[in-house]
Amino acid sequence: MAQTRRFELAMSPHVGSDQTTRKIMYDVVIALLPALAAATWFFGPRALLIVFISAAAAVLSEYLCLKFMKRPVSFALDGSAIVTGMLLAYNLPPGVPFWLPVIGTAFAIVVGKQAFGGLGHNIVNPALLGRAFLMASFPILMTAGWTAPEAWRSSTDDLWKTNGIALEELNSIPDADAISGATPLNILKQSFDLDSSAENAIREGDTAEAESLEGKAACIRSALSDDSTYMNLLIGRRGGCLGETSVILLLVGGIYLFLRGVLELRLPISYLGTVAVFAWVFGGSGWFNGDPIFHVLAGGVVLGGIFMVSDMVTTPVTPRGRIIFGIGAGLITMVIRRWGGYPEGCSYSILLMNLVTPLIDKYTLPKEFGEVKENG
Amino acid sequence: MTKARTFRGGTHPPGNKNLSSGQSIKRLPAPAIVRVPLCQHLGAPSKPSVSKGDKVIRGQEIGTQNGFISLPTHSPVNGTVKSIENFPMPHRRTGPAVFIETESEDGGQVFEKWDDYRKHSPAEIIERIKMAGVCGMGGASFPTYVKLSPPPDKNIDTLIINGVECEPYLTADHRLMLENPDDIILGMEILAYTLGVEKCLIGIEINKPDAIKIMEEKGCSVLPLKVSYPQGAEKQLIDAATGREVPVGGLPLDVGVVVQNVGTAAAVAKAIRDGEPSLRRIVTVTGRGVESPANYDVCVGTLFSNLIEESGGYAEDVKRLISGGPMMGISLYTDGVPVTKGTSGVLALTGAEVRDVTEGPCISCGKCMDACPLKLAPSMIATAAENEKWDLAREYGALNCMACGTCSYVCPAGRYLVHYIKRAQEAIRANRGKEA
Repeated sequence: MAQTRRFELAMSPHVGSDQTTRKIMYDVVIALLPALAAATWFFGPRALLIVFISAAAAVLSEYLCLKFMKRPVSFALDGSAIVTGMLLAYNLPPGVPFWLPVIGTAFAIVVGKQAFGGLGHNIVNPALLGRAFLMASFPILMTAGWTAPEAWRSSTDDLWKTNGIALEELNSIPDADAISGATPLNILKQSFDLDSSAENAIREGDTAEAESLEGKAACIRSALSDDSTYMNLLIGRRGGCLGETSVILLLVGGIYLFLRGVLELRLPISYLGTVAVFAWVFGGSGWFNGDPIFHVLAGGVVLGGIFMVSDMVTTPVTPRGRIIFGIGAGLITMVIRRWGGYPEGCSYSILLMNLVTPLIDKYTLPKEFGEVKENG
Repeated sequence: MTKARTFRGGTHPPGNKNLSSGQSIKRLPAPAIVRVPLCQHLGAPSKPSVSKGDKVIRGQEIGTQNGFISLPTHSPVNGTVKSIENFPMPHRRTGPAVFIETESEDGGQVFEKWDDYRKHSPAEIIERIKMAGVCGMGGASFPTYVKLSPPPDKNIDTLIINGVECEPYLTADHRLMLENPDDIILGMEILAYTLGVEKCLIGIEINKPDAIKIMEEKGCSVLPLKVSYPQGAEKQLIDAATGREVPVGGLPLDVGVVVQNVGTAAAVAKAIRDGEPSLRRIVTVTGRGVESPANYDVCVGTLFSNLIEESGGYAEDVKRLISGGPMMGISLYTDGVPVTKGTSGVLALTGAEVRDVTEGPCISCGKCMDACPLKLAPSMIATAAENEKWDLAREYGALNCMACGTCSYVCPAGRYLVHYIKRAQEAIRANRGKEA
């Protein structure tokens, strides 16, 4: 007969997959670790410390926000704040002072994430917003702190001091090693500057000067498309932001995420594909003679493509929307790289596309099963 | 064997079918009192046609059909009507049930036996299937005769018998295919004859190779299907079998297909060959919350508590009791509810088996969209529903959701997506009622 036993009541389904938001976030943390190893190898222990400070500051900011808003503080350790902190640090030059990531992550978490309602509700990628904030507030620190790879080993300076090198040192025609010193995209930008100086010289009638400038620019570009440059970019022996240097180790993280079912391939592939095609068509001095390999390997597009273009919260959910997002971000990145004021456009392109994500979702809803199509 | 087919989307919950798939069907005698629900099918409950103190015989009609989408109800035993009262039900809160004190369980043949169904017209057969109270035994319990009466402008060319049983844990259809393939095949032939179709398939997931083998040996045209939830949903089964998409808001009839569950086919065979109405069904009692999982052949009106007792009672850590499978089944607060024609399983799950996550915010991972077999936008419907934006929910396809639960299953944030979508459906329908 009917027993007095009490059963829990719940809506179906009564079983569920064992994937959770927390597991996804910690998978991203794990996937970021190989690139952290590269950062430590090339830029020294201070790189490790910057990433740690940034992640810790992110968790602390999240904790204080949650406490202030009387929400469960356990969310602070759900992994998402750590991801934000790590990604922000990965987007900083290795020579920044230690207080800079603290300000950046605090802004990212408080203004970029919690002000919008916390996890899942932020409109733009908080790490990139934090970076944009730092770029606007501390432009010199954010663009001068470049360090030559592995320089820390031979350096006699105090390792814990800000130790950027000035870009002016690289104004001579660089060889592959020197290229690795500044960021490769800075050098590319210089070659385009030389191009426009050459155009000016032609207008002024100084053909000899123009030829010399053009020759210099071409020389720089051929050095950038050199095999040893490619190899350095792949393994990460180059100047650049902390986390963006080693393409191979970033890919290792990406493959891990894909195998864990966390990385949706449409986003990174459409993004990197657009970067490559655009680079080939418009990246050179004429048409169809750009160097797609260099553009994909250099700068932050691999880091951006795997970890920021594919950020779940701020990118579209629809399959078609994801492809549109990737293409849009790729185009903006390349327009900034080729004609914009910055050498790299990865982070701004993603921020701009984040803003139109809800719109993209709205207009790219998949066709329902059985919609329009009739009788097979 | 031809290559296994499937549909796009879906997910792969652990089957857990080996708990009960090796247990042969055990026929249980009727309990001392059967509580026969008058609302075992989809649609209007039948009207009681007996009253307290009446003697009834097995197979006698005790409730008459009450409308087009409705069916008569029959007594599964010989006995005396004790009362007719509202009683807790597995598929709704309460409903009218006829309580009958069991005396014996012999007889049951109330219609003429038709040895050769071909001597009778399709119309006669459909009438018999209706009077025998046969409804879909897969879970939705739609009156079978309605499905067999397509409007004259619909040209039906394919009959699919559904032996997919994609719900985890359940093994009732599997055991039926193994132990009583002849009834299924006869039922299938009768249904094909009634519909006038040549093409007749039986869809089975490839996790039941023994069932596929038996049905093939019996000369059936088997459609092997990949294991994917919800492969057994009508629209997904038709898609896999024929490549035809049932239009939004449409019926299988619109693409020339009728789908019937294996249990329904067996019930049809009984109604025609033996002249016996639909009185019993196969129920899987399983889950780690019950001592010995099993498959039973039971009278409708048997209480769930009887079945649990038969299976050795509950395990210590039982947490949830479910009518049906774990994906679409309804959780119950009591085991004092009767088996209906639509009860495919009684599931007692332990705390370790049920999903235990705190609901978090949507992180827009898009997994629900990839998995939704109807290609809806579950997370977006749910968010609209949470904000009570019913028009938006409708725009995203809320009304077409079949509540299969795939989206909630894959959601890493543990959102109760099905709950929000059902809430939207109710609100949209209620608002529509106001407008009209």
